[in-house]
Amino acid sequence: MRDQIYKYTGKLLADRSACADGIAFAAQDDVLITAGAPELAALAGATLSRLNSLALVAARPTLPFADFLIARAGQGEECIVPQDTETRTFLHDIPFLRRKDLADDPAPVLAKLLGNRKGVIVEGVGIVAVGAITVEQAFINYSSVFHSTFVKYLQDLLVDGFRLPGEREAFDSFRRDWLRPLSASGLDFVDALSLEKDEILAEIERVGRYTVERGLVDSFFGNISAVAGERIYISQTAASLDELKGCIDPVPADNSSTTGITASSELLAHRKIYEQTGARVILHGHPKFSVVMSMLCDRKAECVIKDCWKDCPHVRDLGGTPVVAGEIGAGGLAKRVPPVIGASGSAIVYGHGVFTLGRAGFGEAFAAMVDVENFCREEYFRRMNR
Amino acid sequence: MYGWTGKLLHVDLTRGTCERREIPTDILHAYLGGRGLGVRLMRDYFRLGPFEPDLPLIFAVGPLCGTNSPTAARLSCVSRSPLTGTIYDCSAGGRFAWRMKAAGLDAVFITGKSPKPVFLSIDPARDELHPAQSLWGKGVKETVAALSDHGSVTTIGPAGENGVLFANIMMGEGNSIGRGGLGAVMGAKGLKAITTQGDGVTGIADKERFDAARGDVMRLFRASPVIFGGLGIAEYGTPALVDLMAQRRMAPTENFRSTFFADSGNYSGPAIRKECGAKKEGCYGCPIQCKKASAAGEALPEYETVNHFGALNGISDLHAIVKANSLCNELGLDTISAAATLSAFGEARGRFPDAAEVASLLADIAYRHDQGELLSLGSRRMAEILGRPELSMSVKSLELPAYDPRGAYGMALAYVTSNRGGCHLRAYPISHEILRKPVPTDRFSFSGKARIIKIAEDVNAAVDSLVACKFAFFGATLEEYGELLSAVTGIEYGPESLKAIGERIYLTERFYNCANGFSHDHDTLPHRFFEEAGSAGEGIDVPPIDLARFEEELQKYYRIRGLDEEGRFGDRDLLAELP
Ligand code: SF4
Ligand SMILES: [Zn+2]
Ligand SMILES: [Zn+2]
Repeated sequence: MRDQIYKYTGKLLADRSACADGIAFAAQDDVLITAGAPELAALAGATLSRLNSLALVAARPTLPFADFLIARAGQGEECIVPQDTETRTFLHDIPFLRRKDLADDPAPVLAKLLGNRKGVIVEGVGIVAVGAITVEQAFINYSSVFHSTFVKYLQDLLVDGFRLPGEREAFDSFRRDWLRPLSASGLDFVDALSLEKDEILAEIERVGRYTVERGLVDSFFGNISAVAGERIYISQTAASLDELKGCIDPVPADNSSTTGITASSELLAHRKIYEQTGARVILHGHPKFSVVMSMLCDRKAECVIKDCWKDCPHVRDLGGTPVVAGEIGAGGLAKRVPPVIGASGSAIVYGHGVFTLGRAGFGEAFAAMVDVENFCREEYFRRMNR
Repeated sequence: MYGWTGKLLHVDLTRGTCERREIPTDILHAYLGGRGLGVRLMRDYFRLGPFEPDLPLIFAVGPLCGTNSPTAARLSCVSRSPLTGTIYDCSAGGRFAWRMKAAGLDAVFITGKSPKPVFLSIDPARDELHPAQSLWGKGVKETVAALSDHGSVTTIGPAGENGVLFANIMMGEGNSIGRGGLGAVMGAKGLKAITTQGDGVTGIADKERFDAARGDVMRLFRASPVIFGGLGIAEYGTPALVDLMAQRRMAPTENFRSTFFADSGNYSGPAIRKECGAKKEGCYGCPIQCKKASAAGEALPEYETVNHFGALNGISDLHAIVKANSLCNELGLDTISAAATLSAFGEARGRFPDAAEVASLLADIAYRHDQGELLSLGSRRMAEILGRPELSMSVKSLELPAYDPRGAYGMALAYVTSNRGGCHLRAYPISHEILRKPVPTDRFSFSGKARIIKIAEDVNAAVDSLVACKFAFFGATLEEYGELLSAVTGIEYGPESLKAIGERIYLTERFYNCANGFSHDHDTLPHRFFEEAGSAGEGIDVPPIDLARFEEELQKYYRIRGLDEEGRFGDRDLLAELP
């Protein structure tokens, strides 16, 4: 398990979601092991030993957004309710502990909260997330909480502006120092993907790595596919995009085999997109500014629809990219994305993420996703400056 | 009280009495229902032999049954297995569970032995035993048809009447209480069938919270490729696993001599759909509807059944497999144990049964004719009698299902730690080792598996007590089901408290088993898996399992469970610690 802890510590550093000196893991095999920043490690160990779970991560996020969300929350509130689809589906809500409610030993109360949820925020300490059966799962849950607090905080800022001392400064430094320019330049793509299985697999693996390395997606979220004649090659469900070797399923178009039962839950969406657009490849990720911007809608005041993220029938527009609603998997995204994505080569799903196409190879799809996210990022800051 | 009815029907077949009694509320809160409640109710009886009249046969539903909770219209049947000698439970769907709850019952507790065959009718107005002499000897279909006026029917077939050690109890809707031979327990009691009807409704404490939780569950079902994906079980049923197991090189073939069967495509999910016009069917009120039926309404086989009548016996004819399945359902035989016993028999005599022979052997088993007498004992006893004990591919006498343990080490460990013997549904590591839910794990590694198996056994003991379907957990988790339960009962439950309940149930079962002589020596796999390789292919090697590493992880598992090196409790009196 130590190798796993080492690996996911590395990932938290690489995706810059946790501070280098503020990461700790605990895992229990037949004995409890802890590793990382001593104080956090002690907390992680003390908490995990009270849980019927395998692993736990406690880490200080590189951005103070989670703490700000707590400070901005109302008096009686005990959790944050994120609006984006992925976290809504898998996390529901994120409980938090305020600094003033922290006892000398926060482990028991933390364990109690984690007894019901995958991750919690402890003000002034960080994000604590459990993995029921693997260390990776703890990392994924940390990643989800980080993602959802990031998205929610940016969303809330647009609505309510800064409210707390230090918020503006922190936001400016986030913009100036944390964010990096996003680009596709300097990356190698096969211009026109052949029908060769080996080439396709290698290219999907490489593109998957790129999306993570360039900060376009967190390593867990998203999926990638390419079509070759009667076959779709698609990343598997719960696969990390930067580790796709051995995790790409070939799925026959005529459903003559069900080996693709492990394929991404968006298989149906990919299949329909291919049918309707003639594209060769599809890239799907959850770049954060696109997710934030997708949830802005000027009709909110007068609209009667409650669950916009799945029920909104309108096609909106973000810089020429259509925005549609729709749930993951068998829930309608597969109905709404295919008809709109052909014209622009990209589409945004409300509160969820971005799909882009390549007609010959991944270069086009990757560049398109970068463009969409860059547009949304600029548009976000433009609105913040207003 | 919300969720539970708080009532148990006590039936004494010896005296011919039916009496409704209260179940203490704290027991319901601590054991939920289903498996947990049944196991708890066995506390004073677990030392009795499977065919002793005083041994209870228990049917128990859960607090979610009767509500609109997805996949929860199920029950558990609990007793002691004549095949394995262990405490035994099985979860089953169909309409019966829902009707039993609607009749105002959380459990039916049956003891004694009727001098003449009877059937039991459950009705809110009157619970009654009726003579069933005329039904004795009848097949399942005919019995169900004869009793359908009384509501939903569960019955045994000839196999249960004749004491076949792997006889099922069959639900009228085609579901079965399978594997451990509880049909024979029912038969020994002289009980042919139970019918139930009622119109009670299960109260929900917080409707709004319930609806929100249900929405969360449904969203996760839709996000799960295994459940609602285009290639998932809602579309193809569990035979969706045929292609996957072939590709992963872990489809047990010819009595586990190999792990790949070239003709398995003949009975894959798509093949069954094409050949049999499979349409969706399922347990009552379940949104998944994973069961499939032919155009004519005949129940089509599950994955384990197609593999075992198929690859395990070297049979590639789909229609012969479907026929074998139907025959088992009609006779009241467990398909996995039946097919695995035939396969072991085939290897022992040097020739696996062909398609035509299978049908006649199945009938012989149910009626204990000719060779059927020997085969009716299950593979372990049969192989021992034939002087080839190593050919029984079983753990604690329960025949292994269609997941070769050489292809998934968590599965290997799960088979031996399962309290009811070689079963895939306890820790169910296929979920993460093969189907990548909730996250993937390395199937060729033992690392971390002891803890993973322990946690999963606790989770599933809770799931079996809710009583929800395992398949729901390819998408949802105890987080959402805890919400459903809290909303229904008005009592707060969450993943950790549910796992604690699961742990209590699991340990109780293990304690019963230890008291009946089970220990480390029974927690092992047939030698074949440590000595012979499976079939390599597609870049996958399937070496024998490393016995030393296996044993090391098993010892870890014992430590995590708080057991001694023999897998026992030492001086600890567990039952005295529990509610
Ligand atoms: S998923 Fe299948 S087995 Fe489970 S409850 Fe639904 S129909 Fe029954
Ligand atoms: Zn997505
Ligand atoms: Zn021993």
